[in-house]
Parts: sequence; structure tokens; C-alpha cells
Amino acid sequence: MTATTEIRATETDKPRHRRERRLHVSPGLLTALPVLIFLALAFAAPLLAVFGYSFMPEGTFDFTFPPTLENYLAVFSGSYYISFAKSLGLALVTVVLLMVICWPIAYGMAKLFGRWANLMTLAIIIPLFVSENIRLFGWVLFLIKGGVFLGGLKAWLGFDGESILYDVPAIVLGLVYVYLPFTLFPMVLGISMVSREVTEAAFDMGASRWQVFREVELPLATPGILIGGLLTFILSLGSLAESKILGGQAVIMIADEIETAFTFGQNWPLGSALSVILILFSGTLVLTLLSWVDLDRILGRGGND
Amino acid sequence: MADPILRLSQLSKRFGQFEAVKGIDLAIQEGEFFTIVGPSGSGKTTLIRMLAGLEEPSDGEILLRGERINETPANRRPTCMVFQSLALFPHRSVGQNIEFPLKMRGVPPVERMNRALDLLRLLRLPEDYYKKQVSQCSGGERQRIALARALAFDPEILFFDEPLSAIDYRLRKTLEKELKDLHRETGKTFVYITHSLEEAMVMSDRIGIMRLGELVQVGAPDEIYSRPANRFVSEFMGEVNVLEVKPNGAGLHCPVLGSTLQGPDGKADFESGYLVIRPEYLRFIAPGETAENTVTGVLYNEYALGSRIQYQVRVGEQVFLVEKLREQRYGGKLDDEVTIGWEARDSVLATE
Amino acid sequence: MQFDRRSLLRYTAAAGALGLAGPMAGTAFAAREKELNILCWEGYNSDEVLDPFRRSTGASVKAESGTSDPDMINKLRAGEVNVWDVINLNQPWARDQMWPEGLIKPLPQERFEPYFANMMEPYGKEYPWCYSPDGKELLGMVQRFGPFNFVVNTDKVSRATAEDEGFNLFNEASNAGRYGILTYDNWNIYHMCIGAGLDPFVEHSEAEIAAFEKVARAWFKGAKLLTDDLVAMNLALINGEIDFYLTGGTYTASPARLDGATNIRGITPKKGPLAGGKGGITWVEITSVVNNPNGSPLALDFLEYVQDPDVCHAVAFAEGTYNPVTQMANPKVFEKFDSDELDAIQWDSLEEELSNTVDYQINPDYEVMDKIYNAAKREA
Repeated sequence: MTATTEIRATETDKPRHRRERRLHVSPGLLTALPVLIFLALAFAAPLLAVFGYSFMPEGTFDFTFPPTLENYLAVFSGSYYISFAKSLGLALVTVVLLMVICWPIAYGMAKLFGRWANLMTLAIIIPLFVSENIRLFGWVLFLIKGGVFLGGLKAWLGFDGESILYDVPAIVLGLVYVYLPFTLFPMVLGISMVSREVTEAAFDMGASRWQVFREVELPLATPGILIGGLLTFILSLGSLAESKILGGQAVIMIADEIETAFTFGQNWPLGSALSVILILFSGTLVLTLLSWVDLDRILGRGGND
Repeated sequence: MADPILRLSQLSKRFGQFEAVKGIDLAIQEGEFFTIVGPSGSGKTTLIRMLAGLEEPSDGEILLRGERINETPANRRPTCMVFQSLALFPHRSVGQNIEFPLKMRGVPPVERMNRALDLLRLLRLPEDYYKKQVSQCSGGERQRIALARALAFDPEILFFDEPLSAIDYRLRKTLEKELKDLHRETGKTFVYITHSLEEAMVMSDRIGIMRLGELVQVGAPDEIYSRPANRFVSEFMGEVNVLEVKPNGAGLHCPVLGSTLQGPDGKADFESGYLVIRPEYLRFIAPGETAENTVTGVLYNEYALGSRIQYQVRVGEQVFLVEKLREQRYGGKLDDEVTIGWEARDSVLATE
Repeated sequence: MQFDRRSLLRYTAAAGALGLAGPMAGTAFAAREKELNILCWEGYNSDEVLDPFRRSTGASVKAESGTSDPDMINKLRAGEVNVWDVINLNQPWARDQMWPEGLIKPLPQERFEPYFANMMEPYGKEYPWCYSPDGKELLGMVQRFGPFNFVVNTDKVSRATAEDEGFNLFNEASNAGRYGILTYDNWNIYHMCIGAGLDPFVEHSEAEIAAFEKVARAWFKGAKLLTDDLVAMNLALINGEIDFYLTGGTYTASPARLDGATNIRGITPKKGPLAGGKGGITWVEITSVVNNPNGSPLALDFLEYVQDPDVCHAVAFAEGTYNPVTQMANPKVFEKFDSDELDAIQWDSLEEELSNTVDYQINPDYEVMDKIYNAAKREA
């Protein structure tokens, strides 16, 4: 029996290696080449431009000067750390809140709601066809003093409340609202990868509801949770509109600083340096997390032999 | 007889309008290997899920050693199930899989590991599999890991939900026997469901045949084999010859053959029923030989089935299947006119 | 104006007009007789303004609105002089930056100077921002303009009080939490200078810059909300979240006023530290012809076309924001405006307000102050 297993294992492994080797000369690569070149230009070129500008002297608009580190020095000696820290904090809070909010919804959509899950998916997706700014502005109309919520409270209950607009809680509300689908849908996918029989087996073998969650569902849904969390984190970190529209810029987000540097500041090199730092930070975080969590192992495609 | 370990009385399950299980009464004895056989849609999976505690009955009772367990959830029942997909934890090693029920129970790690290694030995898996990833194991090995995991739970009853259905024929044959050996070694009560009566025959002490939510026959394999309660059961056992018959004064009139046949002893207490003859009980009648029932037709085709050969004989509209061991093969050629026959005692009467 | 009028467009075009397709760079080398590309503040890109021109010339006209003056100039600097034919910016940029950098070309004076005869003072002949520094070349034509200082809810602060107090309103400690800052950054920097008792358009000493920093920090600390969206800001003002806001004028107050909220009013302080003791600033848009090597011959026709009375009115009341136009001195233009429209653009006080303002210019210390400004905003 053991012998047959090993034979089988190598049999399934071999074709994969063979396919990879063939990739180098495959007609597939040749036909994909134009697209690859286009993508390389479209994605890499702007990044390279930003990278290049970040080493140009302050306030210049071309690449003809000797490179300098002055923009990075300006970033690190200034108070930009405040914007970085606050953006980071808001992104973290958003991710944590969304994890907690989305788990029960995602669980229901993946396992319980049946046909109603499609309706919910639609209900969540359709608003995405409306621009983010308009949706956030809708929240302003809802929350503003004399708006739908406070105005309604006053008219019906005589209760005169203060609006939460133009402060940190409103920004968090906006971030949670806007990025919910980005956490939710990968999480739904993650949870639907957990087979019903596996959770039932755990339950059948004496696991409590909590143990089933911790020992089986959570680890097996991790790829989806991780991808959703990272997506949300990166997007929140680079967010701008929530603070601008709902938060009255109570927090100056790092993306706001970058925009200001490129527009009103007329300082492309500084904006580029800020962008490079943000890209490096996000990139390092993503790569670290993805390598730290062994997706293959979670997905049961183990391979240490 | 001793008190049964598991007793079902009028057990029913409805999903909305649909009644999947319809008032089943059954007693399963301690240490028994009981198999429920039925085609898909017969309600057998719903039944075993109720027994395991994964589905709550709509009506009736499940008694474990005389105590009602209808409302006890699966994680508080002293029973354990091996699932069709095996439901191994893909993110855990073989050892962690086997230890899972012990971990849930708070057994200390060293003790857990010893128990897991014992079980690996019991199931004839190498000890170094303890650290292996489940994903690196073959189908048969996974089967054993799932068994080891269920045994680690030390259940009073072990349920099986068609665990061999996805396995290729040869390996399945081996595993069926191993399972029966394991039953003997552990002495536990096994309740097994499958759609293959053949599989059930190999392993079971008793078999229950299910159809459309009802148990149509319960009995030892021999009983089921030789005295199928109805046409459904007899056809379920594999390829058989079924002739529609109506009792008359002289015997059983068979309209499709236009002749009267002799049935087995005992009354045919129906207006219209079936005479069932297994292909191996049919034989070719050489000139000068006789049998209690004979028919003449044309040899249409033959099929080699390993050790046996099956022949298709056409008598008018009726097709007969005849099986012979290879060494007793029929000497003639296709399109020969042949006479086949059988003894009345080798046939069985069945209702619809 | 260097402020974000784009967000406004988003709301007015609510149902989700899909953004204007940017003109294609590739078309730059094609024959240009039948096409025209305009880079402008929003309004000039509206169909009300462009459609009659398209019909009469049969040309394909593409117009894109920018988010700030520097943003639009940067497009030209980045090589898009090959793309655009007409550019429309606030008054200092044509003479002080685009002309020296060779981004625009002069207009034929005999064709355009006659139009100045019908313009409001001081935009008639010889308005210096339309000419090269040596006064020899005509660099552009004026149309929309307006005072731009701050906006109050006159139910909460009377016009008289606001005009007398000027930007000191924002210096009062007791007013903290009562106002918002519309983050059209460069404008705020000028207004913060005024708040610190400085003329923004001259070189500043270190002590003066320190005074600016003090004001910047105090104002950001006291601000209830910051937004670059004038609709959101007006909404907060109407709903009583705030009582006044900084950086605003007819341009930002007019949409609310035309909707009936006539208690929202742009204010020009009566006096202040600007040249001649003036207390406020006025912006004027200048439309120039881009120095496009393959420019469209329609560029000059378009500049002439917008002098037409109907087009003048369309430009003034294009979309989102409403503004006076210099051509209103011409009775044929003026009669196009009804009384609600005149009230929306505060016609009653326009002349008086203009007399209390100076022209918007480039701040020589802008870069230094911009850094301080952003740090103050961030650290508030």
C-alpha cells in the first residue's frame, strides 16, 4: 500500500514540473508576450517614474538633475509620521472591525442563507455602481445636523443630538462602509472552502461550537480572510475620500499628503518620496504576511518533499 | 436476545413536504455490523445523520441503551461517524487528525501521541506517518487515517456514510475485508450505509434494505440473498432474471413466455408477482437432459466476467442471463438455438 | 482658481456621468482644422457652452476641467502642449509663468482688443494681467471673475459685522469650532497671511513667516471641519454645523444662493493689510492659446465665440457654480441675467466688494508657507 502511494505521489508531481519547464518555449508564452509587455509598461512605467522623481530636487518637474535624498530627509524630519501613523491606525481599526462584522455575514452567506445569499450579494454589489463619493455624501446628508437622522430624531422625539460628522468615528464609519465588500467577499470564498462534512466531523468528534470555529473553520478559511484583510488594509491605508467627506479632514491621511504635494504643493519629488515609502511599506507588509502564513499548507496542498 | 444498543421506533424525518424517512423501527445489537443498503434518494443518509446527531428527527425516537437521545447534539453523543468524503482536516498532519477527538476531550499531549501511534499500528500505517501531511497520503491511507481518528474517539457505535464509494474497485475490495477484520478486532458496533448490496454482503452481520424512506427487508446476508422480500430487493442484488407470473391451477403462468412454470414450494399468495432466478442457477440443457422448467431461445451474445462467463439468451421478447464458470463454458456458437432451464427450488417468488 | 471644482461636478452630474474622456495624445499630429482641445476650469467644458460652437463649426471639441491652476500648467509642462489648444487659468499664471516658459502664444491684438471696450472696470483695455510684462503682447482674454475671501451665514453673523471684522473673525478664540476651512490650499495660505496682518503677495521676513505659522496652527485647531468640497461646506453652513467658512466668495456661495439660501453670503472685508489697505482678493480667469506646434486654427475662433452675449451668460451660469463675467458691462449681456441670478452672484455689492480687493497674484513665499500650512493641518 505504501509503495503504491509513493508511486502515485511522484506521478502527480512529475507532470507539473514538466509543464513548468515547457513554459519557457511554449506558444502560450509567445502569444502572451505582447500583453505581458503592455502590462509591464502600463504597471511598471508609472512606478518607475514615481521612483525616479523621488530622487529629484524639491519642486522640479523633470529627471535631468543629479539624484538626491533630500525628499526622504524632508519626509523623515517633518511631521509626516503623524499622517502615516494615523492612516495606519485607521486602517488597522477598519480591518479589525470588518473582520468582526463580516464573519457572521460571510458565514451566513456561505453556509446558511442559500438562495438569499445571491440577493445579499446583489444588494452589496449594486451600490458599488454608484461612485464612492456620492455614497459617502449620502452619509453626510444622513448624519448632518438637521439631516435625515438628527433631523428625524428632533422632529419625532424632540431629541436634539450632536452629529458624529467631522471627527474620527465618522471616518471609521466611512471606511467600514466603503471597504465592507472587500473584506466580505474573499471571506465568503474562504468560508465556502471549508466543507460541511469537515465541520460536522469536528462537531461529531466532540468539539464545541467554539472549538469547531477555532480548530477548523478559522484556519481553513484563513486564505480568504487574509486576502480580504490585506485588500482592506491596503485600500484603507491609501484612502482619502472618507476623511475628506465624512471626517472633515479631522485626520490628514497619507494619501491626502501625497495629493497635496502633487497639486497645491507643486512638489512632485516630495509626493513621489511619500508614495515610494507608502508602496514599500504596503509591499513589505503583504509579502511578509503572505510568506509567514503558509497558504499551501492551509489549503492542504502540502509540499515539504 | 440481549437489549439492543440502539433502538429506533417510528423514526421519521420530513423536509418541508418531503418525507425522507418514514417511520422506521429497528433494533441494532451490541457488537453487530449492521449495514443499511439503498439507492440514492432512499433516505439512508438522512437516517444515519439522525443516528449520529447531525439531523434532528421529526417524529419517533432514537434510544441508545434505552435512553432517548433525539435532542442530544452530535458532540455529546458517544458515537462517531466516518464521512463519505472522510472529512479529514487538510490543514493538520496525520497525527493531529487522529488526536483531534482526544484533544477536544483535553487529553494531555503525550498520552494523545501514544494513542495515535497505537492506532497507526492497528491500521497498519507506518509510524512516521504521524508527521505526514494528510494531502500527501493516498486514498487508501486516508481511509485508514479516518478510521483511526474515529477509533481514537472510542465511540460506542461507529457510523459509516459510504466511505468506500469513491475508491476504485480493487482497493475497495481490500478495504471491505480490512473493515470487517477491524470490526472483529475492536468488537465495536458498526452501522454502515452503502448503495452496494455486494459491499454489504461482504461485511455485514445483518443488512437492512431501504427504499423511498422505508426499510423493506432486514435480515442476514444469506436470507436477503436467498429470499428477497420483493422484486426491488432481488434486482438490487445485481443482475437477475425476473419473470412476471400469475398463479393458476397448474403452477405459474408467464404471459411473456406464454407457458406455465413451476415455482418453489410454498404458496404464491398474490394475484400477480415475479419469479426471480439468479443467472448462475440457469443452465444449458443438452439433448436428452431435463429440468423442471425449460425454455428455448437463441444465444445472442456472451460476456467474459473474469472467472465466469455470462450468456444472453433471447426467448422472444424476454432476455435471459445465464452464468457459467469458465471451465464449464458452453461449447456452441452465437445464433445457435439453445434450450435453457432451471429447477423450481432455485427460483424465488417476489412481489412488486 | 486653484481649487477643486471637480467634486462639485460629481454631485451635479450625480447619476454617474462617466467622466470626460481625455483628449487623445495621438490625435495631436493629425490635421487639426476640425478639432479643438480645451483645458479649463469647469464651465467651459459644459455642453451649453460648447454645443453651439460645435454646431456652427462642425468641429469635434473636447474639453477637460482641471483641479487646480498648477495641475493644469503641469500638464503642459509634462509635454501636453502638443494636445491642448486653449487653456483657461487664473490671472497671475499666464503672465508670470506660462508666457516666460513658452507654454502660450500671443493673441492678435487687432482682432481681440476691441472686445475690451465692452468690459467692466478695471478689466477694460490695458488690464495688466492680460499682457506680457513689457506690455507688448496680448496673452489672453478675461471673462469670469469674483471676490474670494470668506463666507458667512448672515443669520448667525451679520454682513456688516463680518465685513468690519474681516479675517479677525477666525482669530477670535471664542469662535473656535464655529467655522470650516475649504481646503483650496493656496487660497487659505493667502487668507492666513491676511489673518496674520500680512500682505501675501510680497516677500516675507522670518518674523512674518512665524506670525503666519501661528495663525495657520490656530485656525486649523479651531476648525470644525475641513473639506475641499464646496457643496459639503455649504451644506454644513446651511444646517448649522458651522456659522462661517474660510476661502469662499461668490463662486462658492452662489449655488446655495440660487437654491434660495440667500443667508449664505460671500464677504469681502472692508480693510486689511493688502496693498492700499484693502482687505480682500479677487480672482479673474484668463483664457490663452496654448503654444501647440500643431495647434488648431479654431482656438482663436473659440476665444471670439465666448464673447457672444448668450455664450457669456452660459459661461456665467454653466454648471455647479455661478459667477459674474466682465462682459456684463455690455447691456446686451446684462439683459440675459434675471434678478435671481443677479442676486445669486451678489450683484448688489459686487462693485463695492471689488473696490475693497486686490488682484490674486503669486505668493513669493508660497513654497515655505505651503510646508508650514501642511504641517499645521496635519498636526492640528
